[in-house]
Amino acid sequence: MAERTVTVASSVGLHARPASLFSQAAAKTGVPVTLTSAAGKSVNAASILGVLSLGIGHGEEVTLSAEGDGADAALDSLVELLNTDLDKQ
Amino acid sequence: MTDGSPAALTDLIAPESIRLDERAASRDDAIRQVGQVLLEAGAIEESYVDAMLERENSVSTFVGEGVAIPHGTLAGKESVKKDALVVLRYPEGIDWDGNDVRVAIGIAAKGNGHIALLSQLATVLLDPEKAEALRNATTNDEVYALLESSDEDDAE
Repeated sequence: MAERTVTVASSVGLHARPASLFSQAAAKTGVPVTLTSAAGKSVNAASILGVLSLGIGHGEEVTLSAEGDGADAALDSLVELLNTDLDKQ
Repeated sequence: MTDGSPAALTDLIAPESIRLDERAASRDDAIRQVGQVLLEAGAIEESYVDAMLERENSVSTFVGEGVAIPHGTLAGKESVKKDALVVLRYPEGIDWDGNDVRVAIGIAAKGNGHIALLSQLATVLLDPEKAEALRNATTNDEVYALLESSDEDDAE
């Protein structure tokens, strides 16, 4: 299983706009990706409601994991997204 | 109403801010109605409505389960006077960028208050039965009961 831990760069955390962009990107990878909060709660990264339910703020750590073909590439692209301040775009 | 939970969703929704039989011709029309109810609740200044429309044009606030959560941009936060939620239900549905929206939940939040609010709201909507009950709610009591249930879930 591929796994990455990343700090959320968006200045207001993973809320509506960044959460939308993130979950859309996760869906587009075509690989089932799991997003886990520092508190240990896991959701489907492609579900905006799932992502929002975690209530992740700026600077919090999250873990992304995926299995199978393309898992590493999918996680790399999502890590890059979380490293970006999505509110500023 | 229970004590101890300072930012309970239900504390932020005034009974007058729940409108369960609304109609709107378009997504933007619905957002303006949501803005009007937030304005009447004393939660925002009028310019927040423009910030809501701007946000929607940038990224849809449709979250699935027939629900959209219109709110302003980061810059629009200056027009927020107090944290508040409003619930508008559209029994006939609205074409929201190709999605069928039955409930629009308008959010006004200062600072980072929205993260906890959205988390509680999303936790309710993640339960398909609760989401359906919200889409079909016809009384304020039903809406309060559904949103209160998220407070219990958070206490685990």
